[in-house]
Amino acid sequence: MEGQIIVITSGKGGVGKTTATASIGAALALDGQRVAVVDMDIGLRNLDVVLGLENRVVFNIVDVVKGKCKLRQAAIKDRRIDNLFLIPASQSDNKDVLTPEEMVRLGEELHKEFDFVLMDCPAGIERGFENAIAAADEAVVICTPDVSAVRDADRVIGLLYARSITPKLLVNRIDAKMVERGDMLSHQDVVDVLSIELVGLVQMDDQVVVSTNTGLPLVMQKNSKAGEAFCRIAMRLNGHPDLPIEEPRTQKGFWKSFGQKIGLKN
Amino acid sequence: MLNGLLRKYFGKSTSKNVAKKRLKLALIYDKLEVSDDILGKLRQDIVNVISRYFVIDKGSLTLDIQRSDDLSALVLSTRIVKAKHEEHPA
Repeated sequence: MEGQIIVITSGKGGVGKTTATASIGAALALDGQRVAVVDMDIGLRNLDVVLGLENRVVFNIVDVVKGKCKLRQAAIKDRRIDNLFLIPASQSDNKDVLTPEEMVRLGEELHKEFDFVLMDCPAGIERGFENAIAAADEAVVICTPDVSAVRDADRVIGLLYARSITPKLLVNRIDAKMVERGDMLSHQDVVDVLSIELVGLVQMDDQVVVSTNTGLPLVMQKNSKAGEAFCRIAMRLNGHPDLPIEEPRTQKGFWKSFGQKIGLKN
Repeated sequence: MLNGLLRKYFGKSTSKNVAKKRLKLALIYDKLEVSDDILGKLRQDIVNVISRYFVIDKGSLTLDIQRSDDLSALVLSTRIVKAKHEEHPA
């Protein structure tokens, strides 16, 4: 059976695409799938540092596409997680070095080699975006609950529909306290505005910074709420679409929750 | 605490409601590629045309774009004070 290529995109930068790609990829691999995470941010590569594999980069995706090396030579095998491979971006080229047609050809090879391929899309809607979605079968749009991220997500969703890809939505960095206070868009608000299917909700979690600092994948950290959420998202993408989506909540005692019920602020 | 109670029962002016309202409008303008500026001019032109035939309460005139799933509608609402009865409107 051929694998599937999923692009992780957002339009806006800094909403957590790279973290999501690394975490969902690691979770799928821990579940026994053969996974490649591909850094499509040519010129500004970061998936390698987020995964703690920056010291092992030899070849990159541009080398593969231009025929300077084989796909297997460029794919860095993670030593902590079996079946997880990173295909890094080139740091010295720019996005125009690749074309969507070349990516479609690479996609054919990736389909045969892996069960899941996650493309970490660069911010923006220019060539880098076009390259990242060219070979994609599915798309996950990441969005944080703020006005600028939702607006950009809407734009990207439109562009994906135009290419016959029906994207799913991941709402990242939800602060349950702020949502309860009415100072942050809830995930329902975001879904209302964007009207697409939800694939998961990830709450704000300090462990994400810790994970990036150390290069240890989030899903291997203990007590990471965001890590657990990414694991569930991976399961939904991997044949369990009906796994219930948990809403981030604040932890509170009886009186506090009673106070909130009658409308007092926490 | 009181603030929270008041906000919950007497108004919906939490910042997220403001955000949601702004977003919905921004997305409509994005899709139509109509700026506030153009809507302002359109509004002025419409007022001028209607004023040839009717005396209207200009302050109460609203011009909105409403969006449903597959169509957008330009909705104009105004109070007519009275009709003008001139043969050749200026």
